Amino acid sequence: MLLCPACYSEYRTWDQVADHMSGLATMSESAHVMWLNRNLSKEELSKNELGQRLSEMFSNEGSLLEWARNAVIRKIYSGPHPLILAMQKPTREDLLGYVIEHQHFLKNWVRVLSSVIERTDRNDVIKYELENITTEFLGCSGPSHFELLMRMGESLGMRKEEIQSIGPLPSTTKAIGEWREISFKMGWQETMGAMHSLELIADRGISSYGAKMHYFNVKILSSNDYPKEVKRFLGEGYSADTYHSSEALSLVEKYAGSRQSVQVAIIKSLDAVSSYFNARLERAAMLR
Amino acid sequence: MKVTVNGKVAGSKESGCALCGATWGNYYDVICGERLFFCCDLCAKGFKNIVDRSGIENINSIEIKGNYYSGRRCVVSGEGRASSFFIRFSDDAEVSEFREEQFPRKQGHGQSL
Ligand SMILES: [Zn+2]
Ligand SMILES: [Zn+2]
Repeated sequence: MLLCPACYSEYRTWDQVADHMSGLATMSESAHVMWLNRNLSKEELSKNELGQRLSEMFSNEGSLLEWARNAVIRKIYSGPHPLILAMQKPTREDLLGYVIEHQHFLKNWVRVLSSVIERTDRNDVIKYELENITTEFLGCSGPSHFELLMRMGESLGMRKEEIQSIGPLPSTTKAIGEWREISFKMGWQETMGAMHSLELIADRGISSYGAKMHYFNVKILSSNDYPKEVKRFLGEGYSADTYHSSEALSLVEKYAGSRQSVQVAIIKSLDAVSSYFNARLERAAMLR
Repeated sequence: MKVTVNGKVAGSKESGCALCGATWGNYYDVICGERLFFCCDLCAKGFKNIVDRSGIENINSIEIKGNYYSGRRCVVSGEGRASSFFIRFSDDAEVSEFREEQFPRKQGHGQSL
């Protein structure tokens, strides 16, 4: 079974998927046109070419982790996304934009991962997600990721109460809606793949796999230009995300029914995170 | 009205969507009296937002540089003047970021839409 990566309709062959996508693109149906534009080609392709390109894109070669890492590099680092550029020398506004929008991202993160726990009967998955949720929201041996985020905001001159009183920008809301849709429409394996492949973006090793730069300029961690709370928050993610994502994606690979449906969810999730990254830039521009 | 997207003439099925340059789709809209090709209705909506924000009614040319992710730098010329601005659209082609710019600055890193 193969899914249309834009609308989740089910087909048996790539030719059928291509036929369906091509037909809707010809009618200018925006979800399909945008998916093709953003993920495959801006040049219209024949049905044959499209089928071929789709089967290459959703290849079965290598591990799911390798596939997801390549998808992250293509989607986020090949431009690179302007947020990645901003994070090479972030201003106070860039970092406050991070704090304000990311609180909503993190809250949604734990809610969506809870839906994985609710639906799985696998002990290793339940344990893994409980640990992840605890680290993000409650804290294990130290403060939670959420608490470190608030401290970063305070070190930049904004009170916690003020930060928490600001709602998400529409692009963040839109992204959160996409992640919730993945969890409502797809299985726990797809949901897990969609969420944890995002951790590859901040993976410390991403540049050794072909990304032009890291998620943020690593020199910040030893720089005197940033408060220690900023360095602590960025540093925690830097050391944690490699383990998080590779462990999660191997669990997904172990239990997934269909690799392609997980891949569809991962691409949807990377589209959503691009929109969320835009929100951070928009928030920073509003604070300037 | 001459439309260029990332340095290439656009606005017909052959040359590509007047906002993003893509050649998928078959959507046409008459804007400022001219029939322009768009890949979908969202790109047409974005394009109309660019026209509206320029404040120029009789447009000679529109230069667009950028994409969905990076946002777009636009120079709209007509009525003996030019309006330059940065604009970013949300997923439903509403304006999510807008600022006027004195001079069109060099565009950053663009990839496909
Ligand atoms: Zn579809
Ligand atoms: Zn377009």
